[in-house]
Amino acid sequence: MFNNKNFNFKIDTKTGSLEFKINTKIYSLPAIYQTAYLFLDKVYIFLDGEPQKEIIVIMKAKENAKNKDLSSLAKEFYNELLNQLLREKVSQTNAKIREYIVAQALYHAVPNEVDKLLQEVEEEDWQTDPLGITKTWEVSYAEASASAEATADRSEAKEKKKKAKKGGKG
Amino acid sequence: MEIIKFNKKIYNKKAIERAITEFEKLASFSINELNDYFEVRIDKIDQEVQNILKDEFANYVLGVMS
Repeated sequence: MFNNKNFNFKIDTKTGSLEFKINTKIYSLPAIYQTAYLFLDKVYIFLDGEPQKEIIVIMKAKENAKNKDLSSLAKEFYNELLNQLLREKVSQTNAKIREYIVAQALYHAVPNEVDKLLQEVEEEDWQTDPLGITKTWEVSYAEASASAEATADRSEAKEKKKKAKKGGKG
Repeated sequence: MEIIKFNKKIYNKKAIERAITEFEKLASFSINELNDYFEVRIDKIDQEVQNILKDEFANYVLGVMS
């Protein structure tokens, strides 16, 4: 038979408050804070006790609250406490992978030096050949000899013109 | 006059001080340290909030703690 002595609620009829204890060896203090935070809009909550052993939760109904059934709220509190504890455990388990994902995202968001250099190289007009390095010897030689012939022809033509002028004068 | 005792191992002083700055228009507050507790004395409480101020103040401190 299920028998849990930690699941006892003490009701104070004078103050209209309900009191119960939470074992901190099972539920962590941050999980208790987080759970209490979620209930602040429904009830007044006050914590006391010895955080190394147990926390005493004192709940008091708000005057304008619709649901004044504190014992059902206290049970909900336990359920939420379990939920928060699980969230905490999952968060701890996934801490490293979460940090890794964030680090990767930040790394790719900020351009680094290697990326800048690669971009500079890509932007450079490396396919043009202003010095004619990629030309074969034959092509380069043929061009050179053709240009030499052309200059020779031009100088020969000039010589002929000069001679013709001289002959005309004489 | 109202007195609230906050356990030092559960509540921190900064949270209490922050709550005081938020509530100081509604009452006058003073903090004393007594062994394991911060004792907050609340005087001159605005009549409109007299019934709920103590509990709302404790809730606010807990909210800041979370």
